[in-house]
Amino acid sequence: MSATNEKVSYVELITNGLLKENPIFRLALSLCPAIAVTNNLKNGVFMGLAVVVVQVMVNLTISAMRSFISPRIRLPIFMLVISGWVTVVNLVMDAAVPDVYKDVGLYIQLIVAFASILARAEMFASKNPVVPSAFDGIGQGIGFFFALVVISAFREVIGKGSIWGMDIFGTKPLLILILPAGGFFAVGILMAAFNWFYEKFGAKSGAH
Amino acid sequence: MTGKDIVKIVLNLVIIYLIGGAILAVVHAKTSPVRYQNNIIAEQKALKLLVPDAETTEMIGEWEIHGKHGKYWKALKDGKPIAYVILSFGKGYSSYIKTLVAVDTNFTVTKIEILDHKETPGLGDEILVPAWKDQFKGKDLDHIKLVKGETKEYIQAITGVTISSRAVTEDAVKNGVKFLKETIEKGGVAHVGH
Repeated sequence: MSATNEKVSYVELITNGLLKENPIFRLALSLCPAIAVTNNLKNGVFMGLAVVVVQVMVNLTISAMRSFISPRIRLPIFMLVISGWVTVVNLVMDAAVPDVYKDVGLYIQLIVAFASILARAEMFASKNPVVPSAFDGIGQGIGFFFALVVISAFREVIGKGSIWGMDIFGTKPLLILILPAGGFFAVGILMAAFNWFYEKFGAKSGAH
Repeated sequence: MTGKDIVKIVLNLVIIYLIGGAILAVVHAKTSPVRYQNNIIAEQKALKLLVPDAETTEMIGEWEIHGKHGKYWKALKDGKPIAYVILSFGKGYSSYIKTLVAVDTNFTVTKIEILDHKETPGLGDEILVPAWKDQFKGKDLDHIKLVKGETKEYIQAITGVTISSRAVTEDAVKNGVKFLKETIEKGGVAHVGH
């Protein structure tokens, strides 16, 4: 394999996480946090960023340790690695950006239980070398970030009539969308739209 | 599973968990002084917000609630106390809710501020909503009471967040105001008006 071919595959790893195997819209993983944290754009953005960091670090760590981990106990080890990195992100955010942490701190700790992160550790990082695992982490993280941003923007604009906390309509068009029940509707609608676009345009470019 | 496997697995887990623990200990040690400083700054900011008229705020004592370390301050203007502030804790659903309560010299609440809590995300954090906290304004000790359903006289509970709203109302705020009233009326009367 030449170097150019490898480069293409790295780009593919990233677009794979964003489109073909988008953790929320395509794999339907981690829907619980996707609904819980997306009632406003700010939460969605910071949560997405935290997930990118945790996913990449977890993939790197597990890929680097993959020959050392005994297959019988891989799950407790994955969980330790995930919760360790989440705690690191949690503590660092508390120290570095206390104002943001005050808003999203509670949610950051939930990342420990995200199925999408455990799934990538099991499906990809534990079977592949460090560099592709890092790119897979970036791709999955960006895919997750993208989905959270889209869902939270949609819910905040339509549910609360505001964006990033600023009023745009002066009214709340459809309050149910920011409530938990509306979260299911929002995710369902956006998932359908994403897949419709993906089938229509993604298939043409051969990314299927 | 042979004995050799068991030893290998145990070693494997122990080593990885030890490394994980060590990394967390280092990060915790590095960040905790910064986080401590941040907390003090947040406390000072909140004090300013609670009693904006005050020229100076000085701590007059410490107290204990739920084994937590609370403090109280008096806020001065022209050398006279115009308000008291107390740091109190309420036992909520999954955490102790760290609350600052400001009262005027008649021990009527003027404002409260929630500094820290670890209640259920997306539900328990409804106690941070300003409209809810504003209900405390003008309430004296007899009216700091949680009520379900519409009320102007008392504090209205938040639907689905009863435990957290009760912890703030009848634990943190009520006990804090009660303590302030008893303590200041007993010992601090000399400072109030002449």
